[in-house]
Amino acid sequence: MDIIPQVAVNSIIAGSIYALVAFGFNLIFSTTKFFNLSHGIVIVFGGYIVFFLSRNLELNLGISIPLGIIAAGGLGFLLEKIIFLPLRKKKSSNMILLVASLGAFAVIQAVISILFTNQFTSLSSGNISKTYSAYSAFFTETQIFLVITTILILVFLSVALEKTFLGKAYKAISDDEEVAKIVGINTDKIIGYVFFIGSALAGITGIFMGFDTGLEPSMGLPLLLKGIIASIVGGLGNIYGGFLGAFVLGFAENFGIIKISSEWKDAIAFTILILFLIFRPKGIINK
Amino acid sequence: MNTTTKTIVWVVVILAVIWVGYSLIKSSEQSSTGPIKIGFIGPLTGDAANIGQSSRAAIELATDEINKAGGINGRNLEVIYEDGQCTGQVASNAANKLINVDKVPVILGGLCSGETSSFAGAAEQAKTVVLSYCSSAPAITNAGDYIFRDYPSDLYQGAYAADYIYTNLGKKKVAVLYAKSDWGNGIKDVFSKKFKELGGTIVAEEGYEQTSRDLRTQLTKIKAVNPELVYFLGYTEASIPGIKQAKELGLNIPLFGGDAWDDTKIWQDAGTAGEGAMYTVVYTPLTEEYKNKMGDNAATVCAPQAYDAAHLISEVMKKIGTKTEDIKNELYNTVYTQGVSSEEIKFDSNGDLVGANYIIKVVRNGKAEELK
Repeated sequence: MDIIPQVAVNSIIAGSIYALVAFGFNLIFSTTKFFNLSHGIVIVFGGYIVFFLSRNLELNLGISIPLGIIAAGGLGFLLEKIIFLPLRKKKSSNMILLVASLGAFAVIQAVISILFTNQFTSLSSGNISKTYSAYSAFFTETQIFLVITTILILVFLSVALEKTFLGKAYKAISDDEEVAKIVGINTDKIIGYVFFIGSALAGITGIFMGFDTGLEPSMGLPLLLKGIIASIVGGLGNIYGGFLGAFVLGFAENFGIIKISSEWKDAIAFTILILFLIFRPKGIINK
Repeated sequence: MNTTTKTIVWVVVILAVIWVGYSLIKSSEQSSTGPIKIGFIGPLTGDAANIGQSSRAAIELATDEINKAGGINGRNLEVIYEDGQCTGQVASNAANKLINVDKVPVILGGLCSGETSSFAGAAEQAKTVVLSYCSSAPAITNAGDYIFRDYPSDLYQGAYAADYIYTNLGKKKVAVLYAKSDWGNGIKDVFSKKFKELGGTIVAEEGYEQTSRDLRTQLTKIKAVNPELVYFLGYTEASIPGIKQAKELGLNIPLFGGDAWDDTKIWQDAGTAGEGAMYTVVYTPLTEEYKNKMGDNAATVCAPQAYDAAHLISEVMKKIGTKTEDIKNELYNTVYTQGVSSEEIKFDSNGDLVGANYIIKVVRNGKAEELK
């Protein structure tokens, strides 16, 4: 049996998840210039909101999924308004913002653990989703949705950045926040929107994870790390870079372990990170 | 410094020395009245948490029964529960707390082999008796004099599984997918050795990080070498997605697991993907009374051993008191026959359980039942 098509499919699935994480992370990073670690827990939060709505309240998935995305966006927005904005107003360094975001991460993870226990759960109620196959590779319905959604989000973001006022304001802020302020852009408001959109994307990631693999409170950090590696490899703060980096990472991880033992998967990811940091610190797409 | 200050300093120093000395003497042994406190370590959160919670429930039940029947020579038994998260580092911190702060004479646990290995050395040094109710890694056999387990070593399980797969199921080409943990590595080694001795071939050995949930590429590699069966050694949290991913990838060969699969949660969550999966588990002669009292938790692996461990320790302490050295010596001589986990609990000179009977369970309609 030829293994290559299946490994390629696995790589695309992993790459899509990483890309979704990287989109939100990059959007927030390019306006605020700090590593927002709480992004990782917003992913988990989105998944668990859908879990709560669809399992405990027995709401239709058509209602609970949009609500989960909005709730994740809302959580990101709140974190910005309650924690990050006041800190930025005090001219706190990026290191302090990073530590604050780590604190928020830990607190929210603990709350999720208390409410939903630490056990592994899944959004797909016990059954494997419909499977398709092509060229000796197998993939599920959820995975097709995942890949299509990722591409649609990339298209949506690139159009929104070029054509809308919000997109232009976002670009102005990511170039220079002070100048953007001087030309009359309400930067706090725009950054608030960016947090909402970026976190909503994190929510989408969490929901896909819930359907495809499963949910547990501790899954945020490893996912976020992969998203950050993808961002750095692709070009920090650039959504196209994040997309590209995510797939480079997904393919490298999965193709890398064809010949060597699979416990090296994470080692491969971090080796790539280190190589990029040394030889091309600005990433593939050099801004 | 004038004389008054000097006097005050001296008084303070002397008081401090007396106080430290007193507390050292006092804490060298638990007080001889009031409840007898012992420790518990197991994963209450994280990997294998479902098994940990059931074991805790079993020990709570046992403690309740012991105390209702008059306790240990009139003193109540109290258990301090610590979370080991199925991780060496966390379990080691928990054990240090139990040994140094609570000064417990006995620790029931840990559950995961990685937990027990991490603190066995410290417990041995502090002469704290450790009685694990679930750790099965062969390496724990030589962990020390004070380290016991009423759960059989995987030397038995790995060999039993190899024999069953080769002889009874007639599968000669097998792939092994295992969690990189003391438990997974331990069984894998024994299994592979025995299976090759029998004349079979191991066509692939794929390990994964215990916390990994995406096993697709490991499974893809396994599928590519066309095995007749996958021997899948995983804990609950990786097994649920792993079993589903195997079916999603069109891997339609039997899955065979280890004792960690004796967790109802896996088969509820894996749904149709789990149909037909088989695994080995220690035979436990559960009484009807135990089943009724434990309710939903009755079916879970390790809980019967945890229940027996609490009863066994209380019997020993009733007989010889709470001095750890006495408890250790007595355990080597004890034969406990009122258990629900085994007809007879007896330890060999390494503190390992003597003898082990395994049964095969198979999953049908989301429930595991014994294969006769």
